[in-house]
Amino acid sequence: MDENKLKADALVVGGGIAGMQSALDLADQGYQVILVEKEPSIGGKMIMLSKVFPTLDCASCITTPKMSAVANNKNIRILSYSEIQSVQKNGSGFIANVLKKPRFVVEETCTGCRLCEYACPVDIPNPFDLNIGAIRAVRVPFSTAVPQIAVLDMDNCILCGKCARACPVDSIDFLQTEKEVEIEVDTLIIATGFETTPIDAKKEYGNGKLHNVIDGLIMERLLAPTGPYARVIRPGDGKEPESIAYVQCAGSRDETLGVPYCSRICCMYAIKQAMLIAGSLPMADITIYYMDIRTFGKGYEQFYQNAQAMGIEFVKGKVAKISEDENQNPVVRVELIDENSQIIERTHDMIVLSVGMSPKYNPSQVYGVNVDEFGFVKSPTPNLSSTKTNQPGIFATGASTGPMDIVDSINSASAAASSAASYLESVRNGK
Amino acid sequence: MTEKTNPKPEETKIGVYVCYCGGNISDVVDVEKVAEKMREHPNVTIARTDMSMCSDAGQSIVENDIKELGLTRVVIGACAPSLHEHTFRGTVARGGLNPYYFHHVGLREQDSWVHSNNPGGATEKAVRLMYAGIAKANLLKPLDMIKLKAERHALVIGGGVAGLRAAYDIAGRGINVTLIEKTPFLGGRMAQLETVFPTGNNAREDLHSLINEVRTHPLITIHTLSELVNIRGYIGNYDVQIRSQSRGVSGDNAEAALAACTQEVPDDFNYGLTKRKVVYRAYEGCFPSTPAVDWEHYDGKPIEIDGQKVIFENKKKTFDLRIGAIVIATGFQPYEPPRGDYGYDELPEVVTLPQFIRYMGLRDGNVGELTWKGHPVRDIAAIHCVGSRHLAGVHEPQPDGILNNYCSRVCCTATLHQVNELLDEYPNINVYDFYEDIRTYGLEHESYYTEASKNMVRFLRFHGDQRPEVAAAPEGDTHPVLVKGKDYLTNGLEIEVPVDLVILAVGMVPRPVDDLVDMMKIPKGDDRFLLEVHPKLRPVETPVPGIVLAGTAQSPMNIQESCNAASAAAAKVSVLLASGQVELDPFVAKVDLDKCTGTGDCIEVCEYEDAIVLETMTVEGNEVQRAVVTPANCSGCGNCVSACPHHAIDVQGWEVAHYEAMVDAITMEVEL
Repeated sequence: MDENKLKADALVVGGGIAGMQSALDLADQGYQVILVEKEPSIGGKMIMLSKVFPTLDCASCITTPKMSAVANNKNIRILSYSEIQSVQKNGSGFIANVLKKPRFVVEETCTGCRLCEYACPVDIPNPFDLNIGAIRAVRVPFSTAVPQIAVLDMDNCILCGKCARACPVDSIDFLQTEKEVEIEVDTLIIATGFETTPIDAKKEYGNGKLHNVIDGLIMERLLAPTGPYARVIRPGDGKEPESIAYVQCAGSRDETLGVPYCSRICCMYAIKQAMLIAGSLPMADITIYYMDIRTFGKGYEQFYQNAQAMGIEFVKGKVAKISEDENQNPVVRVELIDENSQIIERTHDMIVLSVGMSPKYNPSQVYGVNVDEFGFVKSPTPNLSSTKTNQPGIFATGASTGPMDIVDSINSASAAASSAASYLESVRNGK
Repeated sequence: MTEKTNPKPEETKIGVYVCYCGGNISDVVDVEKVAEKMREHPNVTIARTDMSMCSDAGQSIVENDIKELGLTRVVIGACAPSLHEHTFRGTVARGGLNPYYFHHVGLREQDSWVHSNNPGGATEKAVRLMYAGIAKANLLKPLDMIKLKAERHALVIGGGVAGLRAAYDIAGRGINVTLIEKTPFLGGRMAQLETVFPTGNNAREDLHSLINEVRTHPLITIHTLSELVNIRGYIGNYDVQIRSQSRGVSGDNAEAALAACTQEVPDDFNYGLTKRKVVYRAYEGCFPSTPAVDWEHYDGKPIEIDGQKVIFENKKKTFDLRIGAIVIATGFQPYEPPRGDYGYDELPEVVTLPQFIRYMGLRDGNVGELTWKGHPVRDIAAIHCVGSRHLAGVHEPQPDGILNNYCSRVCCTATLHQVNELLDEYPNINVYDFYEDIRTYGLEHESYYTEASKNMVRFLRFHGDQRPEVAAAPEGDTHPVLVKGKDYLTNGLEIEVPVDLVILAVGMVPRPVDDLVDMMKIPKGDDRFLLEVHPKLRPVETPVPGIVLAGTAQSPMNIQESCNAASAAAAKVSVLLASGQVELDPFVAKVDLDKCTGTGDCIEVCEYEDAIVLETMTVEGNEVQRAVVTPANCSGCGNCVSACPHHAIDVQGWEVAHYEAMVDAITMEVEL
């Protein structure tokens, strides 16, 4: 078959937890699915996390088998490192034009042995560790990546050729160019996910310039066993923190940042991280400054109560300002609502901003779907069928439709698969 | 015959893999040490470790080792088998081995998680558990999955929005659906709402758009007044028995019967705020539109028109169906506070939020002024978390001994939505909102909180262990009720708010479904809601294959979340039934006919119908009775194994000899 023209029943855009679940639920019903992922590996944000609430399973214990199931499903084809350029209607279906970015590695022959990576002399900031650790310019993106195929960062490559000489199967191809692929499908699911709200947006919180103020996602990497240091240290000077504070709603429920909504996940991830830190640094004091604690999901309130019982301090008060003392220790200014509303300044070793969620990508141009003022896909029937869009045959799921935790994303993803399957059947029956 | 192909234990080539489990195991157990010890074992060809064996990279290692080293058995020490045993069977099969030439050792739940305070001991235990796994692996025989035809027909229990959504989605996949609803009408709790967040749509209009799709779908059959009374069988082939009651009136004279009926009972649709006849429709426009007799409350007095009886006997009929999978969408009921709690059921000015929504819906248009029991309403208090977020040692457990320590998720937004609607209509009413945390989570919910603040709702924050109290005001006071509490937005100030009406934002409790739980042997959580296998890996599935959950039977959810869960349940049913075939693990009893003498002891202890029976067969010219297993009906529990006096029965994959070998291995001397 012509590799530049592919045909399938469904196209899923985005290989994070939602996209993978949608793809699996369709493929397991016998439909042919193409999964397009922008990054060199599927796995999305979830594969970067440490442990996940409320069960405290390690995130990779849940994600990697799903990634593997996707890779080994005979009805799913993954197009990694690829982006959708345009989508046209084609009868009741669609034709999508996909740009396959050059990996500078021949996918068909690369075995993922990593000899190129070991040979490469160029260290660059590791995007998988949010640029705190280092990685080689040519590398398998991360240890559990799917597909296990190397990718070469041409922007940083010095063309020394060491990788090409090290490769036992002659898979390095410096001349590789981007490729266009046309995909014909009957239905399409948008699962493009989220990004965290920026850490440098708020002047009062130091515009991202304070040495020992990080965001929640970086803390995930610090806590993850696959993380850059495999322990929690503060970035400013590598010191092990003895006092860590979480500032909630640092990027949500804040009209000055253009994010008036609640991001749903931040209370739970802060509590979870606090519990994990309490495990790895038992002597550390951990404080969570909050406006409202929103532990609304199944088992979440009990999780919150457990954290309180563990000695994690919950302080009602919106942090007004974060500054830094002469030792680069962050200082919060906060009104202690429960203690006679006194305004105090407290010094911590490290602060984690509980940043929120915003859409990673605005799909309105390419797909013609309606989005809200923030860029989240808007359903015409948000209650009865939340994954439907205004375009028949195009569905949207997970965090592309609004902030959502993993549990809710997975149900949303299965729901999108259900709606897409119904659409496929109705098209086939000429209904 | 399979035994012949089985290598002798001393000839096996075993690959052993010990997983770090992303730190879950390696934080306690010295994983490298365990692997090192494994390498000393004579049957072990290779022993490796990995950060996560279940990752594609980890699995590829196993696959390659099988192919390149000619492994004949695989043992993996990792998380619980319930999580990834199935994953690794796939790995082993892809490597070219029979998938049952694999043994999964639980080093996380059975070791690192429970011995985190004793790393040395945990490492030794890991070694012993792994040795036991190797001992078992040596004896494993190749097995095939049991393949069964699956009935392409699903049963959905519950005709609320989740059940309707699930039924429609399953039918959309071309699978037959039978939907049963206990009451005479479809719609469930959603029908009792007025406008819904975040659209502001009328709840019943939205609901009926779905009901119309369901009732006109050619693959869906609806039975109201029906419940499940018996279930037998297994995934793909459940035999269910359904009992239906009659509506008691027939189409021709139904209207006349409704008109002629005089007996009245509290109207449950309006949560007892009004009365209705015992011949009734739940609400105007309900489906089915034919009225029904409320058999539970009907006094039995005949109603006659022109000498003709118009209420007929309640003829209960039962019918049987062969079903492939079942969706449980039995929903919730609002928490009902005990009498006297917050003045409920004692003070006429105290209502629950669901009651208040009904009250607002019952008004005949805007009447200029809101009244309650004939008095104008000027000031209202709303109290959050009634029946939710209870604290051990502070709040009394419920009568069933369970503490409602969970958050009911929908009440904050629902309350503020209702308050905003009220203030749009009656801007002069003052609302005092007593809360612990406002949980208007998610994209569009926060705007309800913002709007309420703009609407000058006074928010007063209590601590979970110091909830407000409601009492009658002294005679002659300006208002009938006083709400007292401490406000922790103003330094714990003692406050007393005189109001005309108190709205209790009550939480959700599951509908009582113990009969289903017992019949289907599905688990409930500590919070009484039905329990899924795993919130992320199998979020809508129960441990019983082919039985899935939809909506608020599982946990509190709003309409959007219920519909998503229901569609997810539909997706799982479609996956199970799309091919018309299901596969089961072959861990079932197997009789050695050479040893069986037909005592029948096995049949006496068997708890599953038709799993093991005596059949007449001819052995050496004599007619004899021998035990025969129907694999699809057998759960592999092993009762028959222990009952057989001749040791003629074994459970495939878990034979007595396996256990003996494991026990021997586990008690061996281990030096670290």
